[in-house]
Amino acid sequence: MAIWNFLHKMASPPHFYGLAAKIIPWFAVTGIALFVYGAIGGLFYAPPDYQQGDAFRIIYVHVPAAYLSMLAYVVMAIAAGIGLIWRIKLSHAVAASAAPLGAWFTFLALVTGSIWGRPMWGTWWEWGDPRLTSELIMLFLYFGYMALRAAIDDTAKADKASAILAMVGAVNIPIIHFSVEWWSSLHQGATLVRADGPAIETTMLYPLLAMIFGFSFLFGALLLQRVRAEVLFRERRSRWVHDLVMPAGDTQ
Amino acid sequence: MTVYEEQFPGLWQGFAAVVKRDLTLAWKRPGDVLNPLFFFAMVSALFPLAVGPSQEQLQLSGPGVVWVAALLAALLSLNSLFLSDFEDGSLDQLILSPQPLPMLALAKALAHWLVAGLPLVLVSPMIAVSFQMPGQTVEVMLITLTFGTISLSMLGSIGAALTVGLHRGTALLSLLILPLAMPVLIFGARTVSLAAANDPVAAGIYFLAAYCILTLTLAPFATATALRISSE
Amino acid sequence: MKPRQQRMLAVGLTALGVLVTVGLTLRAFQENMMFFVEISDVVQGKVPDERNFRVGGLVVNGSVTRKPGQLEVEFTLTDHESELVVAYNGILPDLFREGQGIIAHGRMGDGDKFIADEVLAKHDENYMPPEVAESLAKHKAAKEAAIAAESGTAPSD
Repeated sequence: MAIWNFLHKMASPPHFYGLAAKIIPWFAVTGIALFVYGAIGGLFYAPPDYQQGDAFRIIYVHVPAAYLSMLAYVVMAIAAGIGLIWRIKLSHAVAASAAPLGAWFTFLALVTGSIWGRPMWGTWWEWGDPRLTSELIMLFLYFGYMALRAAIDDTAKADKASAILAMVGAVNIPIIHFSVEWWSSLHQGATLVRADGPAIETTMLYPLLAMIFGFSFLFGALLLQRVRAEVLFRERRSRWVHDLVMPAGDTQ
Repeated sequence: MTVYEEQFPGLWQGFAAVVKRDLTLAWKRPGDVLNPLFFFAMVSALFPLAVGPSQEQLQLSGPGVVWVAALLAALLSLNSLFLSDFEDGSLDQLILSPQPLPMLALAKALAHWLVAGLPLVLVSPMIAVSFQMPGQTVEVMLITLTFGTISLSMLGSIGAALTVGLHRGTALLSLLILPLAMPVLIFGARTVSLAAANDPVAAGIYFLAAYCILTLTLAPFATATALRISSE
Repeated sequence: MKPRQQRMLAVGLTALGVLVTVGLTLRAFQENMMFFVEISDVVQGKVPDERNFRVGGLVVNGSVTRKPGQLEVEFTLTDHESELVVAYNGILPDLFREGQGIIAHGRMGDGDKFIADEVLAKHDENYMPPEVAESLAKHKAAKEAAIAAESGTAPSD
């Protein structure tokens, strides 16, 4: 039972609010450091690609953005599911905060992919390509989720209804991905996650990994900060927020 | 326990009662059946009017047009799936009844398919002919549309349940359901196009059947949960 | 029906539904579903004349011919078995080069020539500096030469 008590303490809004404030600077500093290392390493020290020359360097933004667009959806769906099943309000706040971040990463991945595709593939946008299309549908899923939240005034109801949508979407993502895959294939295969190790030179790989982890830490920091704001808003009528905003002795 | 069983009708009776009730309501209000059909026919007619009567272009775009029009027509009728029940309070009766709610949700979605989906399937050959699609495509189109419209009714029932009490229901419903319905559109339209070109179509039909069974299996539970939340 | 029985029925039906879904999906994967047509099939005439399709293959070394002062270009595609001449009038992507895998969209024209209206380069998932690529190519050639010397046959590519 000790673990449950611990989890309950973690999920209590005031405790989370204070804890997140302590974690955020660490995440932000680590993220920025990795980002700077990755950006300098990727833009100046990594050699040009044997086929694509300097144009391949957009990979240092494109791949982390695409990765985070998916990670954010996973975070959102799992948090929504936990919130729905175990009725944890904090979990719903996490899901609600992850959606706009995920949508922006998806947008960034689409734009950088398009800019990369123009010189390399010879097209800004290729409807026949599975990854492009399924990433676009992912953006639509985020839109639907955010629109449903915005349409329901009652927060508790919005939490539960949008949680169902997030979970249905999570079941559908592999199907959507496969459906567009079936229809064609132009995008290259996986570079990093392969049975025989990454198919990329180490001087190019390290900055890329740094960028992916840097983006992830920055996402973590942004997410925690958003959740803090969300929690503060949701608990605006509670005692602890009142005390926080107007410390004892400071009467109106 | 026998008392319990005598007092409440079985699973199947509850299911059948809901289907029968919705079919009767549709019979009394034929507009519910006809409006999506007219919509389907008109949207299909828009494309030749906009693109021009070139036979080659019509044949090429036919499968896609039929699928997009069917998707939109099915979507149009989804908004009313739970709306009248919500307004007159019978939705609360469904939720409070001792029957398992997922079973009743399945009945509602299947009744919707019978009223709004099946007629689309039956009318589609006429549209195929007007697009001069080759004869062998009609059979494939009927099969894929059948699986596809069932999937759409099931997915749509989730969306309709999520948006039932909301004011801006229709536009929101489309926003929620369209991304989920895209695999159906992709598999369906692509398979009909393949049939038109005499290419193998079995893979697409298997996928649509799989998706249809999956939505039939899982959607009722999601719909039931969504109904409980919306009627809180 | 008792609630417990109902729950059993729900679990049973759900499991059945998921099983059928998996079965149908596996069945679908056994079917043929190619995105582009192989060159050998094109050469053997397994594609209709009056229809657009995609063909994928490698650009044969030394086969690219340009008309001076024009965008028109002709090149040969191969799948290591058959060859197909492709004509294209437009801007080629940066990655288009000899030995590169590309996908061309278009239809068969007169005299077994493929008239492309779109040429897309399919770049691979390997990223490396030019020196590494050169050295890899050198070693690959040396290895193939060694294998060829051993088995007494010429390297196929």
